[in-house]
Amino acid sequence: MLGLLKLIQSIIKTLHSAGTPGQVAAGMALGSALGLTPIMNLHNLVIFSLLVLLNVSFGGGMLGWMLFVPIGFLLDPVFDSIGLHLLQAPSLRPLWTSWTNTPILPYTNFNNTVVLGSFVGWVVLAVPIFFAARYGVARYRATLGERVRQSRFYKAVTASQVYNIYRLFRP
Amino acid sequence: MKFKVFRWKAIGPLLLVFGILCLLLWLFAEPVARDTTEEASSELLGTEVDLGKLDLLPRQASVNLRALQVADPFMLTRNLIEADEIRLKLNPAALAEKKIVIEHLSLHGMRFGTRRKTPARPPSGKGFAPQVYRAVQQWANQFNVPLLSLTPIDTIRQLVLDPTQLSTIRQAQSLLARTDSTRKALEQGFQQLDIRPTLDSAHALAQRLAATDPKKLGLDGTRQAIQSVQQTLREVEAAKKRVAALQQNTRTAVQVLGQGIKTVDQARQQDFAFAKSLLKLPTFSAPEIGNAFFGKVSIERFKQALYWAELAQKYMPPGLLPRPTPGPRRLRAAGSTIEFPKARDLPRFLLEQGQLDFSIGGTSELRGAYAATVQGLTSTPALYGHPAVITAHRRATGSAIASIDVAAVINHIGALTHDSANARLRGIQLPSFDLPGVPFRVAPGIGSSELAFNLKGTQLFARWGIRSNQVSWLADTTGRSLNDLERLVWRVMSGLNDLNVVAEVRGTVSSPKLSVSSNLDQAISQRLQAVIGEEVAKAERMVRSKVDSLVADKVEPVKRQVAALQAEANQRIEAEKQRVDQVEKELNAELKRLTGGLAPGIELPKIKL
Repeated sequence: MLGLLKLIQSIIKTLHSAGTPGQVAAGMALGSALGLTPIMNLHNLVIFSLLVLLNVSFGGGMLGWMLFVPIGFLLDPVFDSIGLHLLQAPSLRPLWTSWTNTPILPYTNFNNTVVLGSFVGWVVLAVPIFFAARYGVARYRATLGERVRQSRFYKAVTASQVYNIYRLFRP
Repeated sequence: MKFKVFRWKAIGPLLLVFGILCLLLWLFAEPVARDTTEEASSELLGTEVDLGKLDLLPRQASVNLRALQVADPFMLTRNLIEADEIRLKLNPAALAEKKIVIEHLSLHGMRFGTRRKTPARPPSGKGFAPQVYRAVQQWANQFNVPLLSLTPIDTIRQLVLDPTQLSTIRQAQSLLARTDSTRKALEQGFQQLDIRPTLDSAHALAQRLAATDPKKLGLDGTRQAIQSVQQTLREVEAAKKRVAALQQNTRTAVQVLGQGIKTVDQARQQDFAFAKSLLKLPTFSAPEIGNAFFGKVSIERFKQALYWAELAQKYMPPGLLPRPTPGPRRLRAAGSTIEFPKARDLPRFLLEQGQLDFSIGGTSELRGAYAATVQGLTSTPALYGHPAVITAHRRATGSAIASIDVAAVINHIGALTHDSANARLRGIQLPSFDLPGVPFRVAPGIGSSELAFNLKGTQLFARWGIRSNQVSWLADTTGRSLNDLERLVWRVMSGLNDLNVVAEVRGTVSSPKLSVSSNLDQAISQRLQAVIGEEVAKAERMVRSKVDSLVADKVEPVKRQVAALQAEANQRIEAEKQRVDQVEKELNAELKRLTGGLAPGIELPKIKL
């Protein structure tokens, strides 16, 4: 229940934050990597760092993460298949051999079919996610945004202490 | 307004997050690593592995394991190995590549075969090791170790056999069906052969040419005649090849039927054995007695050796091809993790050198100097380039346990893998065991035991033996008294102070052959043969005549049909061959005559047919 509330809070805050639709969309595109790929991998540490360091919406990133976790679970068989295909491609074997025998890189676990497949899936989907999110956020702000901003529900959410911490990271 | 790409003010909080992550890692790394090690090694070995404590020593690139217990998968109340402390010195450069290269391993306080406080969990699940465990259990069950029957001969009255129980009849019926289908196939083959038109036209050409004079044909006429003969000869040659192909098919089919006859004969032998088992005739064959008494206990030893060899085959595969293994357990799908070994690089796992060297003093039975080494244990033997070698020995003259010598070589460098192990234990307390099928128990006392195991590819040779000169025998007469034959066997047994058992398994892993011999079975065999040999032989003759009477009218007609089909097929093929040869001969004769009719001294160019 708490998770659901936080999700709603995150969505509301992000959609109404000062960030441009492009910043929110970029955050969502980056955050979707955390949801689409298995979380406990080195590349997700890099994604998280980018989310914090780049001038994109951090809330958008968290929103992207939460939205794409169930999609990641659903697409696992597809990712497994993509990863297996790539890892078994004879032309790519020298690349994987070199990669898995280079310091640090093996900790990315890219020799796992689901990790590689989901990462490649995210790379392919990142651009469509960005454009779709940017369009969606812009449309929302132009249509429903102001009415929601005036609602008591929005005011209650933004009045919470958590929101103050969030403001520190907003773009 | 200038757009800023970086959010520099976030560096502080990011570093704080990393700091918290490092703190959590420092706090929980050891317990997590301990649990992971327990879980992973239990899954790898297929038996419960318990670890009391795990200390990470990053500055020395070392790991300390304490209170390690590895349960025996075949006896859950016992530990295979127990060690107070194990120190692993790791190669830090390899760790950066996510490889575990143990440069040096040292053990302290190692014990074998200790009793567990709580029984281990039995191997279960779908992992590789539990699968191997189940596979070797099945492997052991395939040995048909008969129980020794010591039913008094005077209790044998009559043999009642149900013909449907006899495999000879089933085999004969199956062979009959195969004979019919072979006959049809051959008939079809002869029909499709269709060489009669070719042979008839060739014969007609030869006869027509025989009636002509080459000198009257002229040059053109002779040339045309030669070309006709050559063309026909080519057709005859093609027909000859078809006959040869049919002959080959016929030969194969006839051979298969011949094999079927052999199978029927083997089935009859099995039926004799089956019928004999219904009578529970006492056996006086020494190999059968040896198998009955010591077969089961021997197979247990071989089974354990095979289990570890199969695990080695899995975890130490030959070659450098990428290898998929199941991915890590997680909420998300595990997928497959594929290893890509690189030539002249470090393998994913390597134990370069493991050493155990310690002494136990005092007056304990375990006192003595122990030494053990493990070298080159690796997940990719082709990269390491040397076989893994494991040795262990103990010297303690005057102690109850005189010596232990164990040597094992795991050679998976080439495509043909070769695993061998030799263990010699002298002056040890041999475990007592029941003799199956009889109410006797043997306590070999102090003696020696030897196990040799050799697995080359799929070829298996294993030998297990025990020897003791302090053997004692126990008869369990509670509940019932011994019958005459059992008393006879008991008298033979109880007179023996020595026990010398040798069991061997040979053949492929999938179809091994077990043979067991001992001084006990020789002694019992001679005594039983002297007392009941004639009676048993009479009963066996009765069994044979009974089986023969039931199967003869089913088998003999089938054998006759097979023989007739074989003869007929051979005869028809020979007839076809003779006809082809005859026509070919006629044509060649005409060809010779035609070419001989040209002007003398002129030779025709050689023509390839």
